[in-house]
Amino acid sequence: MLVSEIDMITPSSLSECLMQLSKEGRIHRLIAGGTDAAVRMKEGKWRPEIWINIKNLNELRYIQESEDCIYIGPLTTHKDIIYSPLLQRKADVLVDAAREVGATQMQNMGTIGGNIGTASPAGDTLPALYVLGARLELTSLSTKRIIPIEEFILGPGRTVLKENEMITKILIKSQKPNEIGIFQKLGPRKAQSISIVNVAISLTLDQDLKCREGKIAFGSVAPTIIRARKCESMLSLGTINDELIRNIAKIAWKEVMPISDGRATATYRRDMASALLERGLYRLIRRWDNQ
Amino acid sequence: MNTKWVGKRVKRIDGPEKVTGELKYMTDYHFDNMVWGKVLRSEYPHAKINSIDIEAAKNLPGVICVLTHKDIPGFNGFGIVVPDQPVLCSDVVRCTGDAVALVAAETLEIAEQALSLIKVDYEPLEVVADAEYALRDSAPKLHPDGNLHSHVKINNGNIEKAFEEADIIVENTFYSPRQMHAFIETEGGWGVMDDEGFLTIRCPGQYAYRDRMQIARSLAYNPERIRVISSPIGGAFGGKDEITVQIYLSLLALHTKGRPVKIHLSREESVIAGIKRHPFKVQMKTAAKKDGTLLANQVKAIGDTGAYASLGGAVIALAIEHSCGPYKIPNVDLEGFCVYTNNGIAGAFRGFGVNQVCMGIETHMDMIAEKLGMDPIELRKKNVYHQGEVSSVGHIVKSSVGTYKTLETAENCELWKNREKYKSEVSEPWKKRGVSVATSFHGIGMGIGLPDYGAASIELLPDGTFLVGVGCEEIGGGNSTAYAQIAAEMLNCDISNIKIVQGDTQKTLDGGTVTASRSTYTGGRAVAAAAPRMTELLIQTAAEMLNLDSSQIDLKPNHISAHGEIIPYKSIYKYLYNHHRATRVEGHFYLPKEKEEIKGSGGAPHHLYGYLTHVVMVEVDTLTGETEVLRVVSIPDAGKVINPQGLEGQTEGGAVMGIGYTLYEDVLIENGYHKTRNFTDYIIPTIRETPLIETFPVEEPEQSGPFGAKGIGEVVMIPIIAAIMSAIYDATGARIRHLPATPERVFNALKDLKKQKVQSSR
Ligand SMILES: Cc1cc2nc3c(=O)[nH]c(=O)nc-3n(C[C@H](O)[C@H](O)[C@H](O)COP(=O)(O)OP(=O)(O)OC[C@H]3O[C@@H](n4cnc5c(N)ncnc54)[C@H](O)[C@@H]3O)c2cc1C
Repeated sequence: MLVSEIDMITPSSLSECLMQLSKEGRIHRLIAGGTDAAVRMKEGKWRPEIWINIKNLNELRYIQESEDCIYIGPLTTHKDIIYSPLLQRKADVLVDAAREVGATQMQNMGTIGGNIGTASPAGDTLPALYVLGARLELTSLSTKRIIPIEEFILGPGRTVLKENEMITKILIKSQKPNEIGIFQKLGPRKAQSISIVNVAISLTLDQDLKCREGKIAFGSVAPTIIRARKCESMLSLGTINDELIRNIAKIAWKEVMPISDGRATATYRRDMASALLERGLYRLIRRWDNQ
Repeated sequence: MNTKWVGKRVKRIDGPEKVTGELKYMTDYHFDNMVWGKVLRSEYPHAKINSIDIEAAKNLPGVICVLTHKDIPGFNGFGIVVPDQPVLCSDVVRCTGDAVALVAAETLEIAEQALSLIKVDYEPLEVVADAEYALRDSAPKLHPDGNLHSHVKINNGNIEKAFEEADIIVENTFYSPRQMHAFIETEGGWGVMDDEGFLTIRCPGQYAYRDRMQIARSLAYNPERIRVISSPIGGAFGGKDEITVQIYLSLLALHTKGRPVKIHLSREESVIAGIKRHPFKVQMKTAAKKDGTLLANQVKAIGDTGAYASLGGAVIALAIEHSCGPYKIPNVDLEGFCVYTNNGIAGAFRGFGVNQVCMGIETHMDMIAEKLGMDPIELRKKNVYHQGEVSSVGHIVKSSVGTYKTLETAENCELWKNREKYKSEVSEPWKKRGVSVATSFHGIGMGIGLPDYGAASIELLPDGTFLVGVGCEEIGGGNSTAYAQIAAEMLNCDISNIKIVQGDTQKTLDGGTVTASRSTYTGGRAVAAAAPRMTELLIQTAAEMLNLDSSQIDLKPNHISAHGEIIPYKSIYKYLYNHHRATRVEGHFYLPKEKEEIKGSGGAPHHLYGYLTHVVMVEVDTLTGETEVLRVVSIPDAGKVINPQGLEGQTEGGAVMGIGYTLYEDVLIENGYHKTRNFTDYIIPTIRETPLIETFPVEEPEQSGPFGAKGIGEVVMIPIIAAIMSAIYDATGARIRHLPATPERVFNALKDLKKQKVQSSR
């Protein structure tokens, strides 16, 4: 498929979009901000017959709260997330992660739906969504299902999304006042970089810095995002102090199974899983103390 | 001297149109009847070509022509010094950047498709992937004379005796990366031939006249029938010094029936085919006395020039000339090898070999200072050569030398004085800070063996303004503004009355390259030589017009006055025009040179050098190995500064490029194939990696330069490399000898350090 032969259609409503997605006998793909799509088209990897352009489907661009659940539309941009007072208060780890995506241009164009849709092991919002217990609403013309994000992603670039489906909603649990999160990223430089390792942490803390529940998710160290269950269970061993942090961090490397590539060796990635967890927990406690 | 323009913070004359995006670079143009050119690159880093079949490609609808080596009318080769690079390969390919065929087609897509239809039958050969391996007898020979392209040597004194007598010796091996120029505008341009066979090539380059000569040689065509326009340029840094696509454009233009043909490399193609900085392995052994006096330096440097020479020989020669720093070391044994491999192609790049050796000698200066318990600036001050003294390579330096003053300024700068305080102010407990200093120098101009001249023209225009023409291109460094300042100063007019034209074989005189930190110095001197001729023309003409003696004529800002009468330049132009007289003057200048070459050195010494000292502060995250440069103080000796704002442009850009070289950048090649593809994995600093950079020039005027100026365009990125390496050591105790100092390398060095400590405490 040559780029010049690819068509693009721009549905004006969600129902029209779902109608387009339901058409059979052709290869189509959604394009939102296009920050992944354009790159992969250029590389020859994504060459559908038709792009379905949803960038301006504003009905899918929202951030709302109801009860203790936050609903995010898939076309919400990273900038929307960063500037949302609601998310700043009740999903701090996601705001942190959105801040680390690329740089201003990517944050303006890139969407959370696109970040999930690409399903890169290095996708920066994904670990945050994992620790926030995110669920995704997948809709087709005739069906609707809600599944946890862990079940959505199968491997690098592979998801359970069907040809005729799209992500129409991202659901996360609002953080309670005693919950706090943080996202840490190590890339080859500070901006415009793909994560070598990243980690999202979310803790429920008592007054005396005892952890009631904690979630830790690593990115870029396995085919998909990895929850560090062993580290998580150690979080509740006692008051979170420097020593506990160091001890937890020390075992993080056991929970990951990274590969070597041009960006880093597997050994370094393992070491960095520990380093980022240590740095993240330390900074998180600092942040807690300052609140 | 009282000046109106020179030495002042004059805004760049090309600034507004560049920052607003209004300026069209040559590769931005599109024409209605244009066609697209593409280059077929080699599939293998080293292979024999058995046959090339272009039939299928030729028959693809939309294809205009497909060319191979058989279609080259003249000489099938190019290269600034030795033309050993085929324009289109015929028998062997030596790197994946090698060109095998050319296509012109109606659209870029068709051209790309056509490339995929060209069938080349290759027979893969053993790949020479390492410069040291290349020097072994068993390695395949990549060129008829073998794999050693050049070998330079400088010897002075008695090195063995010096090492025996030394109180202290340090010895290390350093590895440096294959840096990419990473200009915004990748290689590209236009070619068009008119009905009468006049060929016009618009292609960013660093020496239009030499590009024209290389085109003419391959086309077997009268150079007078070729026009090359090479300015403006969306960045070059040496990467457009060699031929990029000019000859391809010319060959295609012969076959497109008068339609303009465009080639513009994708970033991916530029990574593979564009020249890079030579990766070096530098073994260095330096000796000193207890009191810090340097006694001896032994250097063996091997540079990987890749498949072709380009300027590799000159790069190695310059590296060796500069390998002892701006010091006077009486006993030296310096040796450099420029070696062919199948690793892409290396050539000119800002710094030109000095970067790779400066990191060695400056690291050694710090190691010696530490061992002797001496202040690193004291040690340097003790060993620098002054004007009139003998340098390490054994010649008397007659031109101005500012090193000592730059070191004094470093010593007194706020960052250095308060370094202990700053170092204690780490932002998080696992972070560590270091502050270090390094100094270096860089030759200006071509050195011995190459003609080195500047030329400029000044033309009086009908509206009474001046058109200043200089061959040297506006590469982005701001030389156009410097030329305008010098012209305005000497013609006593407002700078808005000066227009500049550069890099055009039809409109400018041959004035040499924009390389070797020479263009402000050389072009500026040429403008300064032409200007008095223009004022003379103005005064003489006015005198003639008024029937007065020329002594009665006054040159006032923007006009001439005599006996209360005012003559605008417009009227002078009209008078000259009506009398069919020339309105254009020329200025020529020959660069001062040393008389005698140091035997075997490949062109050393230079007559002139620019000097610079850097002080930097870094913070290392010991958990991850990330290094952040927090502050940079840049202290150049550029002679008289023509434009402080322009100088800061250089010191700031140079510092950031040096940060990139030290911490991030490397084009990785494995067994001849590029692992680095584009800016996804070639990491250059962004604004978030850009620290506070201060510039404190010391002005050591150079008599031969325009208004006392020297060149500075390269040394601005050099000492910072060693300074960052030392600052990492100052912060953490870990010495990095292999650049770039990526987080992983720093982290591993810290790990090793911990292991050593554990072992030694047992
Ligand atoms: C220079 C650069 C830097 C980058 N840096 C980072 C970084 O630091 N961290 C990071 O995580 N990413 C980074 N990215 C990747 C990219 O910006 C993000 O993944 C972004 O969130 C993608 O969003 P988008 O809207 O542009 O997606 P698009 O490119 O439009 O789409 C991506 C994929 O998602 C699918 N998709 C989009 N919307 C939906 C939907 N509603 N339902 C189902 N499928 C959908 C598309 O079909 C496509 O397959 C970078 C990209 C670039 C070019």
